[in-house]
Amino acid sequence: CSKYLDVNVTPNNPTVVPPSVLLPTVQVGTAFANANELNRFASTIMQQLAGAANSPATYDIYQTNGADFGNQWRFELYGGALVNAQQIITIATASNSPAYTGIAKIMKAYDFAMTTDVWGDIPYSQALQGEAAPQPRVDKQEDIYKGNQAQNIQSLFDLVREGLADLDKTSTTVPGNDDVIYKGNLVKWRQAGNTLLLKLANTISRKEPALAKQVIDQVITSGQYIKSNADDLNVTFGASVGSRDPRYEYTVVSSFRDDIILSTRYLNLLQNLKDPRLATFFTKPAANYVTRDNGERGTLPAVATWSRYGPYVTGANGEGPVRLLTNFQRAFILAESALTLKTAGDPQALYTEGIQASMALAGQTPAQIDAYLAANPSVATLTGTDAQKLEQIITQKYIAFTGNGLELWNDWRRTGYPTQLPAQNAAGIDATRPVRAVYISTENERNPNFENPAPQSNVKVWWDVD
Amino acid sequence: QDVTVSGQVTSSDDGTTLPGVSVQVKGTNRGTITDADGRYRLSVQPDNRLVFSFIGFASQEFPVGSQATINVKLTAGAQSLDEVVITAQGIERDKRSLGYSTQEVGGALIAQKSEPNLLNALQGKLAGVQINGQSGAPGASTNINIRGITSFNGSNQPLIVVDGIIFSNDVNVTGNTLFQAQSANRLADVNPESIESINILKGPAAAVLYGSRASAGAIIITTKNGKGNNNKTEVTVTSSYNVQNVYGIPPFQNDYGQGSNNLYVNNSTNSWGLPFVGGPTSITNLQGETRPYQAYPNNVRDFFRQGSVLQNTANISGGDATRNFNISLGNTSQQGITDNSKFTRSNVQLGGGAKLNNGLSISGTGTYVQTVQRGAALGNGGSAYGQISRIPRSYDLPNEPFQNASGQSIYFLTTANNPNWSLQNTTLDSQVDRFFGNFTLGYDVTKWLNVTYRVTGDTYTDRRKGISNIGAVRAPQGEVIQNNFFRSELNGDLLINAKINKVFLEGLSANLLLGNNINQRKFQNASVYGEQLTIPGFPNVSNAAVFTQSAESSQVRRLVGNYAQLSLAYNNYLFLELSGRADQSSTLPVANNTYFYPAASVSFVPTDAFKVQSDVLSYAKVRASVARVGRDADPYLLNSVYTKSSFGNNVAAVNFPVSFGGSSVPGFAIDSRIGNQGLTPEFVTSTEVGLNLGFFNNRLSIDAAYFNTRSTNQIFNVSVSPSSGYDTRTTNVGELQNRGIELVLSATPIRSNGFKWDVNLNFTRIRNKVVSIAPGVLQSGITGDGFIGITPSIVQGQPYGVIVSSANPRVQNTDINNKATYDASGQYVGQLIINPTSGQFAPVIAGQPLSNPNSNWTAGLTNTFSYKGFTLSALVDTRQGGQLFSFAAVDYRSTGSLSVTGIDRDQPRILPGVIQNADGTFRPNNIQLSAQGYWQGLGGLASEASVFDATVYRLREVALNYTLPKSIIGHTPFGGISVGVSGRNLYFYAPNYYADPEVNTQGAGNIQGLDLSGPPNTRNYGVNVRLTF
Repeated sequence: CSKYLDVNVTPNNPTVVPPSVLLPTVQVGTAFANANELNRFASTIMQQLAGAANSPATYDIYQTNGADFGNQWRFELYGGALVNAQQIITIATASNSPAYTGIAKIMKAYDFAMTTDVWGDIPYSQALQGEAAPQPRVDKQEDIYKGNQAQNIQSLFDLVREGLADLDKTSTTVPGNDDVIYKGNLVKWRQAGNTLLLKLANTISRKEPALAKQVIDQVITSGQYIKSNADDLNVTFGASVGSRDPRYEYTVVSSFRDDIILSTRYLNLLQNLKDPRLATFFTKPAANYVTRDNGERGTLPAVATWSRYGPYVTGANGEGPVRLLTNFQRAFILAESALTLKTAGDPQALYTEGIQASMALAGQTPAQIDAYLAANPSVATLTGTDAQKLEQIITQKYIAFTGNGLELWNDWRRTGYPTQLPAQNAAGIDATRPVRAVYISTENERNPNFENPAPQSNVKVWWDVD
Repeated sequence: QDVTVSGQVTSSDDGTTLPGVSVQVKGTNRGTITDADGRYRLSVQPDNRLVFSFIGFASQEFPVGSQATINVKLTAGAQSLDEVVITAQGIERDKRSLGYSTQEVGGALIAQKSEPNLLNALQGKLAGVQINGQSGAPGASTNINIRGITSFNGSNQPLIVVDGIIFSNDVNVTGNTLFQAQSANRLADVNPESIESINILKGPAAAVLYGSRASAGAIIITTKNGKGNNNKTEVTVTSSYNVQNVYGIPPFQNDYGQGSNNLYVNNSTNSWGLPFVGGPTSITNLQGETRPYQAYPNNVRDFFRQGSVLQNTANISGGDATRNFNISLGNTSQQGITDNSKFTRSNVQLGGGAKLNNGLSISGTGTYVQTVQRGAALGNGGSAYGQISRIPRSYDLPNEPFQNASGQSIYFLTTANNPNWSLQNTTLDSQVDRFFGNFTLGYDVTKWLNVTYRVTGDTYTDRRKGISNIGAVRAPQGEVIQNNFFRSELNGDLLINAKINKVFLEGLSANLLLGNNINQRKFQNASVYGEQLTIPGFPNVSNAAVFTQSAESSQVRRLVGNYAQLSLAYNNYLFLELSGRADQSSTLPVANNTYFYPAASVSFVPTDAFKVQSDVLSYAKVRASVARVGRDADPYLLNSVYTKSSFGNNVAAVNFPVSFGGSSVPGFAIDSRIGNQGLTPEFVTSTEVGLNLGFFNNRLSIDAAYFNTRSTNQIFNVSVSPSSGYDTRTTNVGELQNRGIELVLSATPIRSNGFKWDVNLNFTRIRNKVVSIAPGVLQSGITGDGFIGITPSIVQGQPYGVIVSSANPRVQNTDINNKATYDASGQYVGQLIINPTSGQFAPVIAGQPLSNPNSNWTAGLTNTFSYKGFTLSALVDTRQGGQLFSFAAVDYRSTGSLSVTGIDRDQPRILPGVIQNADGTFRPNNIQLSAQGYWQGLGGLASEASVFDATVYRLREVALNYTLPKSIIGHTPFGGISVGVSGRNLYFYAPNYYADPEVNTQGAGNIQGLDLSGPPNTRNYGVNVRLTF
């Protein structure tokens, strides 16, 4: 009888898996979170895109509330990339595979940075523990970035450092093709981890300049960071249904493809700068680029003529890549910190390196890049006050990061650059551009630790000083 | 020593003979049925008692003694109070002995009522039972709950038993219930014409012998079996033809056309454009073509066609009390109210039984059914039904071309498909092949001891094919789904029945039943998702480039149960029944997998006990029962598992394995549900008291019941904070309570000169409440598909299934800290708060229970008039209260299509509410909005504006039948001819809703009260004929 009843082991799902099947989930999930709805939101309010209908049109006029980004928080970040990074850490620690835990910790730090940068204070130290903490505490963003021993909160920097240390250990199993980013190349992961430290330090550099400088100095001293475009932490997608970059799916394939269009303002910026990258950033199905101003109302241009994300962003057939940490980013961060924090390096040289790296990614040959810089000295040369130089750096970073709205939004919140006029018909809580996302209503329903009513979209996050 | 007794049964009213009266030897399976002349003959023993029972008449009981002839006059009662009913495990019981509530429905009440779905045919006829159809689509599923919802997470559909066969009534879902074509509930495989009777076992006490699965009640269906034919072979042929028309299209305005803000906009779903009078005579559409600018008043109605239902059944049966056989053939063919939708069903049933002289009895039936269903995808957004509510008044939907030469949709939107295109190009086909049957072997060991073994089986495959041709908005590159379901259930039951007539004292008899049940249920679903098609118009998986969503899922669950029932009867007026069952289930942890549950019931007939002789009070019975039923878990809930990864939705999606430049990479993720190794069974405890009264020789009878059901220790996937990394954890939590009143009143106000008027009234009032969920958890979503921000939920202190969404903020005087809503004066408390600059409502508050799908009370009233072969019956019913959360209504209103939006359109309007002054006080809103601003400002889909009162009154069923008199058919080969006309859903009145609120897009299941853009209901009428040879 007991044997007759012994049929409750599921044949449909594994109960034990190797870390190698979780790693692609974490990596693709991170890229998906970065490039899906959050990008549509951030790229629209940052005026590279304009909303034509549905949610992008409401984002465009600064309307956002707790009904937005539920899928991003629940299925892409906490219940997607983050919890599976945590699973890898648990499983791979038990199987003595620090190569996996190292990568997972770096990805986890990246994802938590993405989450706190969007929402401010978030569950962090008690998150991802399932039944052990079904209603996790909300940690302050300051503690997430800086750590807080009294509350047993490890800083994001230490989390990355722990991951980097793991990469140096001997590992029973090492990733190969399951590492869709670097194919198991741990040297590149070391570089990426250090570059992530640069990004994290850069994010808090105006709030905590001393800490930022200390972190950046350490990375520069180590010499291990992304130094060429070939080292970029990119997630490249495929060309078939179900394998494609969400930016391609949304703007080219899906029934929502006519919700979003190139912003008139961004077209003007690129055309004013005579930037040759425009041709790969956006498509031009008609004689001219067809755009819409941010927040504009009224009749839309014929959809067949619209300028949409081009191959630089989406790839030819949806391959992407999603650029999470890049060589140009590293150069622009070091240029900025050399300028503002007096870290090692020449701001101008690093700035030029950033532009060159980005243009090369956009398919420009070295000769074309040199010709462009020679012909456009106002772009090529940092001039004026430090603030003006910073504006030049951030503006070029803004252009280089076309397609990664979160980076645009982070830099603007940090520095105020690039300077932009509000959208037409701006509405929302007080007609100002959002400086955070509102906590998703599901958390307010399920976790009393969340502030209720939630802070609205006009309340700054901790590192956003002005 | 056997003696032969014979006689004739007549009606005490008019002396006519009564054929088909059941003559049963009390306490045995032996018996017969009176012949066409009302005569019977039976071999019995002198100490036997004979029970004469016939539907519509009061049963009578006589001791045999030395009589050779027993002639009986049966008295017609509006409701027979002592009839024999079939209870759990097929046990026939005197109704008077039951300490709990059952309600029987004869086959005649559901046959030929213009309704091919058996459950729908029961609507309005049962007390304590809620039945709600999904829509008028062919084969659409129907939800049924008996005495409310008793489980947070488990199935709340009652157990269905057909001829002793545990019968799957599952709805096997292909894809997401928000968008799929509607699948049938599998009771649809039963032909209503083949049914002899249905008995509803309402409470756990009635159903405890069936164990766990009957904790939501049980529906015991008996099909025709030929037992009553008295050795004569009878052939019955019934045919009917009905037409179906869409019913419940809202009233529209026909003064303003496509556009927004009084402008023509060629890709707008709105009708807020220019007036037809004084507007342009023609416009240019999105395709650049010129069209007259005018209203098309029937552009929605004419999207639908007239459907039809043709049903034919032939039944051949014969036999007597010892041998019987039955052959039944049936065919139902339904064409739906939209193009390319249909439902067909073909049944073949063979059955028979024999009682041998050596004490052995054998019987069995086998049924084969093939059911074919086709329908279009539904749901909000791109589907045909999602678009229907967004058609501008000036768009000539029925006559505009819907596809171009290459088969692509032509429409006034580029982001949606023409609904007519969708009907042809986004379809789901289902073909079910089902076999079910039983075999029973019984042996009378002694006169008082019978041993029976019964094996039943039910198995089917459902082969589905879903097609989204290239260009479909939900699969722009096309998709072909092959989705195969397999279900089977086997049961073996050993029944040992001992009966002793005199125990301890004179007049006390005892019946002891011991039983054992071995159960196995298997389920498999394998699906191939072929995506990215290349060749247009070739919907075959070989045409697909990508298969990553293909999947398989299998389940096995087993259960062993032992049960016992002791029934004591004292002088046929005092009854006590004790039952118990112990189950051991495969789905629970080994340490907790055995659980026992008992039931006890008592019934007392004071009119017999005290030998009441009254012209007024003819019968009285009081009854009470208490029962507890345990319920196991679904399979495989104990472990946390991993699943294949995917991200996104129809906006953009990644499904592993992901194909990067030629190499395919698998990906798995920890499942969002946390398993639980310590699960224990959940329990439903019910107490019930009831009263049966018969007056004026039972011409008026009342059956009243009050019940109180507590469901505890619920196995539920409790919501956890998403930042924990998970969505739910499976655990035993919470308490759910149902309290209710059921009332059935039957009367025959007039019976004279061949004219008879019968009245049957049923009334139900159920109060359901989620008493508690889990510590720290005040609300949790019900398992199922849902839109973000519209969550069917359990909320502490609220009824089950309330829909949680976003509410408009209102002025309060309780929360002094919230200055934005606090009004110290109290003057404006409860008023809506208005944004002082826009005149619109202030930002919504998420997570509020907005809509309660549970009705306040329901009632059904059937009047039947008969005169000389004519029978006219009419059923009106009502549902009072409860709410519907409707996308369609909000669409129709906010797009400016509803008639109400056309009234005074040029006049400004003001949303109701108040504006906060600088000093924190409030003033009435005085900001004027345009008509469009007002009607759209009321709210969108996920808002209070979607909530409507679902109160409805309905003329549900009218049937007129004429049975030709014997004098006419006497010289024909026919034994009987009757012809009839019937109509269904002929009229409804919903005072607070624009259309028919009796729809539920998600069909059968725990999520109710949502209209997420599904097909509307139909009005049916037709003719039928019944011939007996």
